[in-house]
Amino acid sequence: MVGASQLALTGRFQTAEYDTDAELLAACRRREMGAFEQLYRAHAARLKSIAYHTAGNRQDAEDAVQETFLKVYRGIEGFHGQSSIGTWLCRICINVCYDLLRKRQIEAERAEPAPLPRNQLALRVQLEDALRRIHPRHRMVFLLFSVEGMRHAEIAAILEIPEGTSKAWLFEAKRELQRLLTETKR
Amino acid sequence: MIFQCADLERALRTAELMPDARRHAERCEQCREQLFQWNEISRVAPQLHEDWESDTLWPRIREALSAEPVRHQRPRTWRWALAIAAMVTLAVALLMPPRAANLGGPELLSDGALREVQQAEAAYARSIDKLAAVAQPGMEQSGSPLAAAYREKLVLLDSAIADLKKNVEENRYNAYLRTELASLYGEKQKTLREWMDYAKSK
Repeated sequence: MVGASQLALTGRFQTAEYDTDAELLAACRRREMGAFEQLYRAHAARLKSIAYHTAGNRQDAEDAVQETFLKVYRGIEGFHGQSSIGTWLCRICINVCYDLLRKRQIEAERAEPAPLPRNQLALRVQLEDALRRIHPRHRMVFLLFSVEGMRHAEIAAILEIPEGTSKAWLFEAKRELQRLLTETKR
Repeated sequence: MIFQCADLERALRTAELMPDARRHAERCEQCREQLFQWNEISRVAPQLHEDWESDTLWPRIREALSAEPVRHQRPRTWRWALAIAAMVTLAVALLMPPRAANLGGPELLSDGALREVQQAEAAYARSIDKLAAVAQPGMEQSGSPLAAAYREKLVLLDSAIADLKKNVEENRYNAYLRTELASLYGEKQKTLREWMDYAKSK
């Protein structure tokens, strides 16, 4: 597996040109491709992972990331720096994923999930499976906090919820996951 | 504190109770297992970060971005228009003594006309409120930059409407202020319609 930083070393990407968020934002507003490339390098890995866990597969995740960048390109004038660019990108990506889910009615299919296999799966696999079964809003907070390592303040900004709600949903997510993991064990 | 199995959930929520929970778990197998699993979920979670090589993704995105038509942002003339309208309104309201409203004249309404205008205004405002009730929930939920721009515009319009209504209350016979108010309501209606058309087209 190759991360975004490793890809940068292969020379397929230009070197970083913009040192601050403000410079980067200004360059994005001028539609400089280098600026969008820098945004991609900095955030694509996290966006892909979030999109993967929301959309359910890599192809859809990549489509979602592409759509996210298109929306950013089209709507960059509407971003006034109320949050960091990363937070804004995440919010757009999550909305894109939810739109994708609505279109493909994946949520409807998930409403009645097949029972988990009873054989001993590795905890990582069990957890990934259980994560698909919990409430979408709890899943999103768990994903952003526990998987992607974001802070509750950032999550609150992305999901436009109070920080306390983010903490409460994380607790609910872990409780649901624990219940599902316990059921699998039995 | 005498920690019991039933306290475990509370301990998982509040870090202060965790030392008690750990002590209790040393003696209670069921709680020990639950606590272990709770910690395991947090420990294993970062491994769920999904990363894979996608050499073609950035070239695809770059191509898609390059194919986007260059959009020149339309100047936000409505902001200037609103600001100017509000300033003019305020200036008129301040320069015109409130009692002058009863003196009659080309800009002032008669009592009968005022009643009719008030009724029409109230009906117009109600219809726009109904439109807002339909359009705004979707706009509030959307995280798109366009929705944010529309939200911002509506906040400004509502604020301008509220200011103007206050002035109208103090100058009830002033036809000019009422025309200004109607034009702000018209702008709000147009904004809500534009958003609804956009939301439908998505």
